[in-house]
Amino acid sequence: MRPYVTRDDKFIHASGLPACLVDLAAQRQVNQHKLLRGTGVFREDLLQPDCHLSLSQLIRLLSQFQRLMPGHDAAFQLGHRLFPDQSAEASAVAYSRNLSQALRLLSRFRLQLAPLLSAYRYRHQGFSYLLLSDAVGLEQHQYQFVAELYCCLLVSASRHLLGQRLPLYFEFPFPRPRHIQEYEEHLGLKLSFNRPALCIRFQEAWLSHPLPRASALRQQLALRQVTATDMQHTLIDAVSACLRQQQHSGLQDVARSLGMSPATMKRRLKEHQVSFSQLQDRVNMQQALYLLTVKGLNNETVAQKLAFNDIPNFRRACKRWTGLTPSQLRALSPG
Amino acid sequence: MSMSFSLLKLHPRMLMATLGVISAAVVLSFSIGTSKSAAEIEWLDVVGEGGIVLLTVVWQFFLLISRPPGRVTTLLTIGLCCFMFSTLLDALDEFIHYPQHALLPLFESVPAPFGMILMTWGLYLWHQELLTLNAQLRRREGDIREHAHVDLVTRLYRADYMREQIAQHLSQPAGQFCVAVVDIDHFDAFNRRYGHPEGDRLLREMAELILMNVRMKDLVCRYAGDRFILMMPDLSLKKASQQVQQIANAVRHLAFKTANQAVFHTLTTAVVEAKQQENCEAMLSRLNQLLEQQKDVSQESPRATLCYAGR
Repeated sequence: MRPYVTRDDKFIHASGLPACLVDLAAQRQVNQHKLLRGTGVFREDLLQPDCHLSLSQLIRLLSQFQRLMPGHDAAFQLGHRLFPDQSAEASAVAYSRNLSQALRLLSRFRLQLAPLLSAYRYRHQGFSYLLLSDAVGLEQHQYQFVAELYCCLLVSASRHLLGQRLPLYFEFPFPRPRHIQEYEEHLGLKLSFNRPALCIRFQEAWLSHPLPRASALRQQLALRQVTATDMQHTLIDAVSACLRQQQHSGLQDVARSLGMSPATMKRRLKEHQVSFSQLQDRVNMQQALYLLTVKGLNNETVAQKLAFNDIPNFRRACKRWTGLTPSQLRALSPG
Repeated sequence: MSMSFSLLKLHPRMLMATLGVISAAVVLSFSIGTSKSAAEIEWLDVVGEGGIVLLTVVWQFFLLISRPPGRVTTLLTIGLCCFMFSTLLDALDEFIHYPQHALLPLFESVPAPFGMILMTWGLYLWHQELLTLNAQLRRREGDIREHAHVDLVTRLYRADYMREQIAQHLSQPAGQFCVAVVDIDHFDAFNRRYGHPEGDRLLREMAELILMNVRMKDLVCRYAGDRFILMMPDLSLKKASQQVQQIANAVRHLAFKTANQAVFHTLTTAVVEAKQQENCEAMLSRLNQLLEQQKDVSQESPRATLCYAGR
């Protein structure tokens, strides 16, 4: 079996994000036919208990939702309503004993609970960093919408689980939007824009904070109801993971380890509107960001770790990835 | 936003009248005259005069889907009908030869000016009607009307509108004013417990309550989510804080009924006064920082997440 899902595999429960989205749109008087047009999903389908959508259907639905919803808060409103849904996966997360366990389960069921963005977590000096990136090939304006959605989901879910506000710091890879009031109201004031990557930061201490809703037995019950699937990755995730494990592998190596020909992998990546070298850049950029801004290492060490022959090359690459030089990046380090 | 046709079915008489006028004009002209041959028809005139008729019908349609029945609607519809009758006869005579007929010029030229007089009278009444409606909109609207900026849930203007109004006030040299935000505590928990439709209803009623507690010259908008923003011109910080406190008191005593129980709410509030040489974004950022501090204070004193009263 393939270790990843394609854009056309139908694996997303209709009862989660899709149903929630259709209901919210109806409350805001959005025309249901226009919302569902061209998605291949009909209202009656959503009432079937085993209805599943593919990634491309979900993306189309989401883009029509974004276009048709009035006001600037559609993504945030949706984010507040998503967790917990009816699924066994969400219940398993909801009954976690602490945030650490909740995050582990979230990453295990990522394809069900948050299929559009992939997260890469690292820890440093008392802080946890969630580095989020597009997992499915989204357009730029849609990426911002999805970022708003998931950030709000995280705020809302963590408040639900903890029973209080979790202080989160957000960094967004786009300029300060005009509808900044929605960010301030739904995400808080710890926001920075024009950053190289989408990153959420919080204090490690919160990870072990006991959750008032914890229930080991109910969680086990929920875990038993999870329909088994080995797939935790989209193709973009799978390629990125390969690149992360073996830093210098090329197209050939990655294609081989994913069990397909280089030509097939190129074609499939193109369906996700991304190329192999773009993914290589993205992974390298994430590594460089971590090493420079979080660990505060100097240029020589980072260039060496990322296998650059000389410093000027590394500096040029940095500039190309992020628009900033290594020293400017280091100056961004979170206080 | 799309069109809504729900008002159309409230106008059976006006629709009948319109159809009646169209058929009367067609019957009248064909009963008197005889058709022209194709070679005689001036197509440029047909397009020009036919276009006027079509546009009149479109105006009539927009009128009827936009307004509930009433005196203004009736006057405007009948006026448009008369005007359309004349233009329709005018357009039809491109297709028809009329014999010398004494009454025909009368049919063609009299209804149009008569209809214009009716429409003029209707527009005057419409003006008066709008003055009444404007008074109803006080405290919800500044001196500009921009329906695209109205929030669908609370029917208040959104943050963009308030930003423009604040910027405009800041640009005027003399003018003390204060801006406040009020934020409903634990709105998230309320939504989870009672559902988002009830949350929307709470926001709507909260908006009404806030409006009732401000002066006629104040402006209330929805900022984002469960946060409202108020502009209070010609008011000192002290007086403005008092007024915001009065709103908070009113909200504390609001027994919002849902699922057969009364749910009580509290507000977190922040007020700032406009400073010289400050721009709108700086002022809003100062305001939101202050609110954030207040929220931290209210979070530190733990109390029941939501207050209930039995049925």
